[in-house]
Amino acid sequence: MGKTVLIVDDSNTMRKIVSRSLRQAGIDFDQILEAGDGQEALDVLAANQVDVVLSDINMPNMNGLEFLKAKSEDDAIKGIPVVMISTETGADIIDEAKSYGAIGAIKKPFTPDLINETLGPLL
Amino acid sequence: MKYAQDICDSTQEIFSSMIMLDVSPGEPFKRDTSKLEHSVSGIIGLAGTVKGMLAIHLPNEAALAVTTAFLGMDVEEIDEDVCDAIGELANMLGGSIKSIIDPTGSDVQLSIPSAIHGEEYAVDCLADSESVTVPFTFNGQTFMVELQINQS
Repeated sequence: MGKTVLIVDDSNTMRKIVSRSLRQAGIDFDQILEAGDGQEALDVLAANQVDVVLSDINMPNMNGLEFLKAKSEDDAIKGIPVVMISTETGADIIDEAKSYGAIGAIKKPFTPDLINETLGPLL
Repeated sequence: MKYAQDICDSTQEIFSSMIMLDVSPGEPFKRDTSKLEHSVSGIIGLAGTVKGMLAIHLPNEAALAVTTAFLGMDVEEIDEDVCDAIGELANMLGGSIKSIIDPTGSDVQLSIPSAIHGEEYAVDCLADSESVTVPFTFNGQTFMVELQINQS
């Protein structure tokens, strides 16, 4: 069965860029889902079988850290791996993201090779 | 001028890795309050121990060319996609500069980026701030990256 990825970013441009980078990295997902903020991401996770989440941090409505915290409190979805893709990569912020369950972080700007290095082992 | 080299390095890295465009920096300068014409600006604010903004200003033609390259599809008018793309560029530039000013990430916060465009508008941030603007060129087009900060 093919895998499904959820891309969470308030920028439509960045969601397209991440999708493109996944293809360029040779990572084939059967389905690519998108969400514009953390709350939308929770709604998508509630309705779909998702294998990995790529999430921005700075988003309106519900940001990436708030999303991680809410996800960690839901037994149905807390086990889904989340990799942060963000301009925010300060040690304190990444430590906070990992404390809520994120398993890695990719800094924007990124290359397809970096995507492959981080996601490849997960898949 | 302080942070000019950081702006050069960050802009070139972002354009090269995300947009596959090679951009060349010009001489840094302090931009006055002249209005911008037929342009698009992506803006992101900084708050905390350092206050200010980072902005990228592109004439419409340059904004369309950058967005076309960014998205991999032809863009022919300044629309929501262009504003989103330019806002995301400001986001990445802001994040890059922030990581230099605040390596731990806990002392400076970034705003959600925004974008404005029009026939004539002005962008200004803080009184008593240090300011540096770096012009860039690519494929006969030009744009500017501007940083205004108050570190007191």
